[in-house]
Amino acid sequence: MRFRKRLPYLLLAPSILILLALILYPLGFALRNSFWFWNLQTSPAPLYHSGLDNYRMVFQVTPFAEALKNTLLLAGLGTFAQFWFGMGIALLLYTHLRGMGLFRALLIMPTTLAPVVAGFLFRYLLEPKGGLLPWLLEGVGFPVPPQGFLGNAGTALFSIGVVDTWQWTPFFAIVLYAGLLSISEEVLEAALVDGASRWRLFWSISLPLLRPIAAFLVMIRFMQLFNSFDLVYVLTSGGPGTSSRTLSFNLYREGLVSYNIGLTAAMTWLVVIIVSVIINLYLFFIYRKREW
Amino acid sequence: MRAPTTRQKIIIYALMALVMIFFVGPILWFILLAFRHPSDAYNLPPEIIFQPDLGNFITTFVEPGNNAIQLVNSLIVSTGATLLSLPFALAAAYALSRFAMRGKEFIMNWYISLLIAPPIVFVIPYFILMSWIGWAGSYQAMILTLQTLAIPFSVWLLKSFMDEVPIDLEEAAWVDGANRFAAFFRIIIPLALPGIIVTSMFTFVFSWNNVLFPLVLSKQSTTTLPVGTISFFASTGIYWGYLASTAVVAMLPPMIIFLLLGRYVVRGLTFGAVKG
Repeated sequence: MRFRKRLPYLLLAPSILILLALILYPLGFALRNSFWFWNLQTSPAPLYHSGLDNYRMVFQVTPFAEALKNTLLLAGLGTFAQFWFGMGIALLLYTHLRGMGLFRALLIMPTTLAPVVAGFLFRYLLEPKGGLLPWLLEGVGFPVPPQGFLGNAGTALFSIGVVDTWQWTPFFAIVLYAGLLSISEEVLEAALVDGASRWRLFWSISLPLLRPIAAFLVMIRFMQLFNSFDLVYVLTSGGPGTSSRTLSFNLYREGLVSYNIGLTAAMTWLVVIIVSVIINLYLFFIYRKREW
Repeated sequence: MRAPTTRQKIIIYALMALVMIFFVGPILWFILLAFRHPSDAYNLPPEIIFQPDLGNFITTFVEPGNNAIQLVNSLIVSTGATLLSLPFALAAAYALSRFAMRGKEFIMNWYISLLIAPPIVFVIPYFILMSWIGWAGSYQAMILTLQTLAIPFSVWLLKSFMDEVPIDLEEAAWVDGANRFAAFFRIIIPLALPGIIVTSMFTFVFSWNNVLFPLVLSKQSTTTLPVGTISFFASTGIYWGYLASTAVVAMLPPMIIFLLLGRYVVRGLTFGAVKG
């Protein structure tokens, strides 16, 4: 009997232990080294205890505040755009006209790509000299910055957001479409009979019923965008200057380009704290009745 | 539901055409690039119809074919990560699907918190750890660290499939004298097999498309194909022809797998949370 009670925990233990080892090691490593001066280029081991210097330096040496602002802007606007574009396309699919099945199968293609590949696609399309998009846009009289959209401080971050939106809008579209299908036709018919307009139907019935799915999707996507590294790396490398640097790219630069391990460790903990706050705020507001 | 009028149909199809051009067009354009002669990459106005040229693929995969080994590496790392995650995930998913226990909700949330944590936070310490224990640049370094994503994902998705195997069948097996382990292998595994295959395919794709771990943890001889494409980004310019040919080969397996997955795509992309 005691074995029966323990069995589920015994089954969970291997996965939890391996994951704990894989998480606690980096977090512990970062916590310890955040109080030490250590540059991997000059020494293979931490040099001396430096108190809170690393935490101070994060703000003085790296554009941490700017990276945080860029990251929140990218994640917030990107998720918002992807959700509503995806919802629009889901409603188009929901008309069930002939051919929609084929469209849906093709539509998911951007989401299957590795983010670096999506980055290359648009890097090619956006090349200032010889790229298709600047050429088309100039053809219709749209102003294109001479350094291109990726080389201009005012448009670089926005362009990263557009590419991510290109890649992930289809994801929202097909999942929200699946959500729309799960809403019972009878409820919608009844409201139509009662004289509700389609517009009213969408806002008052479909959208509230999609809320649990939508909340889940938005949380997942917001955090994936918050963590963006691949796209930034391929499209702009955080530039020009630091205008499109995100927190993940800032960590990469300090840790694996400058090899400033102590400072990176301090930044790691700042990011871990920010991420925990965001996730918990989200769970608190959206999942007060935790549904999963 | 009311059928749309002809005018509405025209508007819907026109919008859908724009959607398709926007979302599929860039991929087709890039595939064409792989078949262009390198000197034609920047020709404007662009040539839609041209003599396809296999030169890029020959250089990258045949002679000298520096990228062929990366294709093999990608297969090794993605398959390895998928196979390693399965036993861990199967056990955990079975426990979460079949037992009432305290803290189940917390454990589920804990798995998902790993999926949305910033991987860059983990990868820098791994980079130093792997060189200390002599695993720098090894396949096992990538396969092991990818488990931070592969196991939580597989647990969630497998649980959603196991939830659908009726418990009656298992109970019938117990009555017939099978113990829990025998029932697991005789009932759950065969009935959840489609789910196990679907989960493995998704884990494979996510591992295949992952760039951060191999970028930091591989060496030149073990690096994967998506990372290999980045090497055509030289300071002297971008070798678009070669880059496109490797990127096109790198995008094929995920695309084919997604087409095969069909109606499971929604479920996989939402970790089993939306049935689709």
